[in-house]
Amino acid sequence: MSLVSKIKEAVLCLKAGRVTLSYPANPKPVPERFRGRPVFDPQKCIGCAGCANNCPAREILISDKCQEIRVVKYIGRRCTYCGRCADLCPEKAITMSKEYENASENIRDIAQDLDIWMGTCQRCGRCFKAGGVLDKLMMNGYREDDCEGELWIYKSRAYLDNNRITDDIEITVD
Amino acid sequence: MLTILSALCNIGLALVLAPLFEGVIRKITAIVQSRKGPPIFQPYMDIAKLLIKDDIEVGSVPVMQRFSALLSLAAMLCVVLFVPITGHAPLSRSADSIQMIYLLSLAGIAVLLAGLSAGSTYSLIGMSREMMAMMTLEPLFAVTVVMAAVKAGSLRLDAVFFGAVYQGGVSSGLLMLGVMLFALQAFVGRAPFDVTEAETEIMEGPLMEYSGPKLALFKYSHMIKLFVYAGLFTALFVPRIATGVRILDVLVFIACQIGLVLLVTLVSATHARYRIDQVVRYYAMLFLAAIGCLSLSLFGL
Amino acid sequence: MKAREIVDQIDKRFASAVVRTDIPRDNRLIVYINRESLRDVATYLFCDCDARYCVGIGIDDREVSGGYLVSHDFAFDRGNVLVCLIVSMPESDPTLPSISDIIPAAGWSEREMRDLVGITPAGMTNPKRLVLPDGWPENLHPLRKDVPWNIKPKDYDPTKTYPFDAPPPNTTVVPFGPFHPTLDEPEHFRLFVEGEIIRGCEYRGFMVHRGIEKLADSVMTYNEIPMLAERICGICGCVHAVTYAQAVEQAAAIKPSLRSEFIRTIMLEIERLHSHMLWVGLASHILGFDTLFMQAFRIREPIMWMSEKITGNRKTYALCLIGGVRWDITPELKADLINVLNKLEKEWTGVFNAIKGDKNIQARSRGIGVADKQLVKAMGLLGPIARSAGVAIDARRDHPYAAYDKVEFDVVTADTADVWGRIVVRTLEVFESIRIIRQCLNIMPEGPIINEPQSELASGRIGLSSVEAPRGEAHHFVMTGENNRPHRWRVRAPTYQNLQGIPAMIKDQRLADMTITLGSIDPCFSCTDRMEIVDIQTGEMKIWRPKNDIVNKKDIKVVVRKHV
Repeated sequence: MSLVSKIKEAVLCLKAGRVTLSYPANPKPVPERFRGRPVFDPQKCIGCAGCANNCPAREILISDKCQEIRVVKYIGRRCTYCGRCADLCPEKAITMSKEYENASENIRDIAQDLDIWMGTCQRCGRCFKAGGVLDKLMMNGYREDDCEGELWIYKSRAYLDNNRITDDIEITVD
Repeated sequence: MLTILSALCNIGLALVLAPLFEGVIRKITAIVQSRKGPPIFQPYMDIAKLLIKDDIEVGSVPVMQRFSALLSLAAMLCVVLFVPITGHAPLSRSADSIQMIYLLSLAGIAVLLAGLSAGSTYSLIGMSREMMAMMTLEPLFAVTVVMAAVKAGSLRLDAVFFGAVYQGGVSSGLLMLGVMLFALQAFVGRAPFDVTEAETEIMEGPLMEYSGPKLALFKYSHMIKLFVYAGLFTALFVPRIATGVRILDVLVFIACQIGLVLLVTLVSATHARYRIDQVVRYYAMLFLAAIGCLSLSLFGL
Repeated sequence: MKAREIVDQIDKRFASAVVRTDIPRDNRLIVYINRESLRDVATYLFCDCDARYCVGIGIDDREVSGGYLVSHDFAFDRGNVLVCLIVSMPESDPTLPSISDIIPAAGWSEREMRDLVGITPAGMTNPKRLVLPDGWPENLHPLRKDVPWNIKPKDYDPTKTYPFDAPPPNTTVVPFGPFHPTLDEPEHFRLFVEGEIIRGCEYRGFMVHRGIEKLADSVMTYNEIPMLAERICGICGCVHAVTYAQAVEQAAAIKPSLRSEFIRTIMLEIERLHSHMLWVGLASHILGFDTLFMQAFRIREPIMWMSEKITGNRKTYALCLIGGVRWDITPELKADLINVLNKLEKEWTGVFNAIKGDKNIQARSRGIGVADKQLVKAMGLLGPIARSAGVAIDARRDHPYAAYDKVEFDVVTADTADVWGRIVVRTLEVFESIRIIRQCLNIMPEGPIINEPQSELASGRIGLSSVEAPRGEAHHFVMTGENNRPHRWRVRAPTYQNLQGIPAMIKDQRLADMTITLGSIDPCFSCTDRMEIVDIQTGEMKIWRPKNDIVNKKDIKVVVRKHV
């Protein structure tokens, strides 16, 4: 009969001991490469918008307040923690931290705003070269008409086509 | 007077100990599954939590829903009065074994009524499964009691209990013990015979529309069912152990019940659930074996 | 047969059928044929050449060529060739002959292309809606290029319901889903039951349709799509990301770096390990055997921790980019992985030895959910279902990709064609996966882990890729396009094919065996329904309701909202 099988199964079970971890009483440490919440360092950021260009979930927005100030805003609500922003940042200003307990009732707890003081290239305004062929930036310089009315742009490239996709998706920044 | 005290004692022990048995089952199942499991007193907290919830009535016949929940606990508590934990069943002077058998069936009928009152497809399927299982299983218990009654010569509870099955011929009693041990799992409705409340197949079956206090009543009666059957088995098959001290007798009885509970736990943790047709076939075979034992006993073996 | 031979044969038999041929490499064939010869050529490939039908794809090509295209993909498993049979139609007349009477496996593909692109195959065997919800307005086909990706149609009609078939005589209707404790994802099987025996079934699914293909067409770029692709499925995410990357690499003639191919192979096999162990646990939970469920998950946990160490996450590895991978396997990780595999192998051998003689489990799984060789061929069933029936198809061996041509492994088959066979096949495949990972770790070369493309990807090229997911073969079709994104991306998950076989597998079985049969195909409904779903117009979920609903609508709302 299956009595022998049952005994083998029971032995297997009892040899293993108990494996329940006492989380959240004792937090479980995560490995080194763990991709938690991305943390933006305003000291290192140069405002190239490479992260905004390549975020698959479009959670990083750009708004130019004036010639010298660019605001980089990470909303974090639909962030998938893929780490592409950290990969592509030329200055390594973004690190994927180890934090995974990010649930909160207030979206502003997760959002990060960076006000970046921009330097201008003498030839073209603002120019950055970033990434490979598939990751290249499309917003090449500051132009007067780029940012009328404090528009938030989530994909600097989409803005250059004539349809501004910012219109028909609801990006609630507050 | 003594009867009333004894009855209250029985009911009190049942109400207090039944969730403890359930807690032991869950804890041991968890250990077999390599995890920590809930604390042993969790079933008390579960019942308390269910009792404080909103009492919602749904289904085609709400009155029946209420009635079947109350009936299930009430019938079970009546059967508790037949278990001779304290040495004598409290109802031993007013009732005999026939009443015990049909009160047990009454508890099963409460589940059928529950399934009918919900009226949804899945609960009806669960109800039909429970009906099939009951029809093939309840007679088994009746056969055991009849064998004990035949050997003892009387249907009185005092005569039928405490090893009366071994009178006259030990072998038929031992065979009957073997048959009933195989059937114990089926009586208490646990894996591999929990086909009526197969959660993954028919969404809890007859109890589908129950929540809150009514579900607490059903859960409680399910826990007490285990207590009752373990008690009746001990009463039928374990000869009377008289140590002289009443409390010790009671503790020995409860210890035997716990032994049976452990057996139930181990079997339920290591088996998959059977399908209704396999289950009915199994019960029918056990029934035939029981009839065989009964015939043996008539020949004095 | 090699690709050139196939097209020569077609040319010989059906004169003037072939309009154009592309043979980008030895094992890929793209044939453009006339509309009128479609049925003949398809019959020839399916019946005479014994090819397997993969998927049918509708493409809105009006911006490029002025019409529509339909591609029927076939696979020659023994010859290692994937064939695209492409028919083009003018914009004014988007119809073509249907092939679903010859090839039942094409049933869903044709319904889908009618729903989503508006191409109508003439003479379909089952012309009901497949993907779009019932209230969706007619003539609004989401995958057309002029329909925005985030449209909220004004004339959505919430009162319309699905026209189910009438039940056979003497049967009652048992609705199974969209809410059921066994099912992880919502889908609806309308079972026609006589007593406890199932006499028939009708399926209505696509409730977790998310708009993935449309998003990829409209707003995402090549390197962002792998992050989307790995969220197609909750278990085989790496598979879809790798298949997509391979399809694009094949279309654009990019060779990924050698080390990255090995890393992709290792991660794919790690995914297969955790998926099969999860399935064994799930199947035993369905059978009511919770102990095996807990033990399988306990044994599986170290693999999840290992994935987290290598890639940063237990499941969404975020691994693939076009041209390579993002994470490298350092020597410490390699040593760690070898330890984990050794321990896993020992414990899993113990489990297999314990369950192979277990009559209790076999009583619930032998003879259940039978899918014999004829059904496998007709419906194009894949993966462990085909292998448990004795049909030895495995995309790792038949259409080698990544580093599979450099390692040795066996294709595990059983011959019982039932649920027990599938349990055995999946349990033994765990050992094969461990063997493959060990070989990969030994022969993996040093080198860069990504070979980035140096120039823009040419547009208009077609790439096909078939990868063996734990559930069967996942097949992706990519047509490259302008603006750094694909023109069309079609994902055909294995469950898409396997689900079409379910009505035949559960017929004349007991109701109690329905769940384990469904579980034995290892259904991954999120893989299957990948496209744009119901509107969020009023903020309320518009869900399709079964007629004899047993759960109140408010309950469904609460449950299904989780899946959006």
